[in-house]
Amino acid sequence: MEKVLSVEGIGKKFRDVQAIRDIHFDVHAGEIMAILGPNGAGKSTTIRNIMGIIIPDEGTIRFHRSKDGSIPRDKIGYLPEERGLYKNVPIMDIILYFADLKNYPREKAKKRALMYLEKFDLAGKENKPIEQLSKGMAQKVQFIASIVHEPELLVLDEPFSGLDPVSQELFQEEIKKLADQGTAILLSSHQMNLVEALCDRLFMIYRGQKVIYDTIDEVKAKYANFKCTLKGHNDAEKLGKLPGVKQVEVQNDRTILYLDEGIQPATWLKSLPEDLDIKEMSMDRISLHEIFVRIATGRWEVDNLD
Amino acid sequence: MINSWKVARWEIKRNLKNKSFLISLIVTPLIFLLFITIPVLLSGIDNAESEPVKLYVKDEIGIWNEQIAAQLGDSDTWEIVLQPENEQAVMEELEENENVFYIVLTEQDVLEQGRMIVYTNEKSDEKLVQPLQFLEQPLQMKRLMDRGFSQAESEQILRGIKLDIVSVGKEGEASEEDTLPLRRIIPAAFAGLILFSVIITGTMIFQSASQEKKDKVAEMILSSVTPSQLMDGKIIGYFILGLIQVAVWISIALPVIQWRLNFNLITYLLVPETLLLLLFAIAGYFMFAALFVGLGATIEDISTSGNFQGIVFMLPWIPFILFGPVVHNPEGIVAQVASYVPITSPAIMIFRMAIMEEWPWVDIVISIVLLLLSIWLFMKLAGKIFKTGILMYGKNATPMEIWKWLRH
Repeated sequence: MEKVLSVEGIGKKFRDVQAIRDIHFDVHAGEIMAILGPNGAGKSTTIRNIMGIIIPDEGTIRFHRSKDGSIPRDKIGYLPEERGLYKNVPIMDIILYFADLKNYPREKAKKRALMYLEKFDLAGKENKPIEQLSKGMAQKVQFIASIVHEPELLVLDEPFSGLDPVSQELFQEEIKKLADQGTAILLSSHQMNLVEALCDRLFMIYRGQKVIYDTIDEVKAKYANFKCTLKGHNDAEKLGKLPGVKQVEVQNDRTILYLDEGIQPATWLKSLPEDLDIKEMSMDRISLHEIFVRIATGRWEVDNLD
Repeated sequence: MINSWKVARWEIKRNLKNKSFLISLIVTPLIFLLFITIPVLLSGIDNAESEPVKLYVKDEIGIWNEQIAAQLGDSDTWEIVLQPENEQAVMEELEENENVFYIVLTEQDVLEQGRMIVYTNEKSDEKLVQPLQFLEQPLQMKRLMDRGFSQAESEQILRGIKLDIVSVGKEGEASEEDTLPLRRIIPAAFAGLILFSVIITGTMIFQSASQEKKDKVAEMILSSVTPSQLMDGKIIGYFILGLIQVAVWISIALPVIQWRLNFNLITYLLVPETLLLLLFAIAGYFMFAALFVGLGATIEDISTSGNFQGIVFMLPWIPFILFGPVVHNPEGIVAQVASYVPITSPAIMIFRMAIMEEWPWVDIVISIVLLLLSIWLFMKLAGKIFKTGILMYGKNATPMEIWKWLRH
């Protein structure tokens, strides 16, 4: 896939605090790339450096489609973490203003804006000012304003925060659709489940440094061991002594067995004793969410991960 | 530059669609006109409702019908009873009723002692008979003619002696003198009005920048335009808004002014001096605009107590304090210093040019040079503050922080 953006070794210091250090990653056309990390990890600082809102102390940011390598402002869509729009201006005026700033034709912008307003359940509200809408609706308008000009690169900083599940799904669908149409998408989030479901690759950042940078599948294969969830009456101590079981967690009549690294599920299943009480059984990998929590709470050493 | 225009257009459109801006745009000149016309209308109503003043006149010297009655005019104002038969009844009426006056013109009083007695009671408003002051002239005439002067001689004497100062100068100047003050004052008043209007919209830049911080729109806009394009766009936009404001004010007020003052304002404005005066007004705007846009970007909520940025709102009004000393001595040290200090120079220079017959050209040149230099400097500094300030969320910047941004 064609590279649209390359971040090469950027670092930024605020006073004495090194906010980010030696950050490297690429974003390709048609893919959704996630920057993951707990609050304060450096996600927004990285994004603001890319957007030229702050200038990195070191490293380079390359926009491959820009002739002189500088930021192609009218080809980028940006939804900042700090949300807000002009409060007392009609929605349509705001969307058209942002499209105008991106040199996008007015009539085309109007058509697209109406289409998206309808899609996001805001049809007929184009002449209402933001102050008359709910917070979630305002967020939808801001999202529309950031994609109305058909950007080649879309940068979304925490796009799902503050949204209800239905709106989250709507946003997810739309982001996927944009990627399918060839837009390179970079999004930051701390909601692992959403990233897991949506993104192709991820860059996990912790305390301003890279922790993981890979495709979602690779990450799961590499870091997420299997776990087996059993429903039935069994002795937890006995289960703990089974081969390949690292840890046992009991939740009511449900028992979760965390397995060792490198365990082959089929082989391991064969090794189970016949007298095991199994009413239900499922086998899956540890979720990204669990990996994330473990990293964020310091239960995994950052240096051991790479 | 194209992006700056887009921002400017947006600011203009946004404000022209804003109800409170539109209301103040129309209402300001209307209030001004109301203040001028209401007192006149009210006093008209008052007069119309008042009862006529009753005048009893005892004229022993035979002057009333000859010379005075015709000049009194309006019969609605006066109800005159000449030579009342029963003096006792008049005196009784005087005691009981308000606004009844009894004028006695006797040979003894008027011709010999030079006085005219008017009887009334305490409750009557003495101001009502003040228009009768004009009686002095015919009564004096009567006294002089009684002493043997002819009518022509009497009129000559009564004309009195007038102090007439004639300054010796180049020929032809005397005829222009009457219109000269207006030729200076009208263009200056026009420039002053523009300065006033653009400074008012200039303070709106402060709110616009601060509001964009508060509403957190700045970051999204800055993904499309550079901070300096955004800042320039705001400065241009509010300048044009200020001009629109003046245009609306003038188009509302001009017909009324033409009607009341009965002379052609436009001919007084179409003089070369207007251009120089406008230069000061426009330069004044750009200097204050730079101040407002820069400091507006450092503040998120103007209503929080203890911020120093509020002080800048007072800066444009400092010249008002100095008008007194400048009128007193337009070439004095206060006037000169205030003409060099950029904060005060636009208003003070326009004011001095309005009141001085000979323009202080040296001061004008120094003032313009200093003003242009300070605009350049202020814009540069504002750019630095704006760039950092507009993206700082959650708190107002302290003077120390601003100082640090400036040194960067």
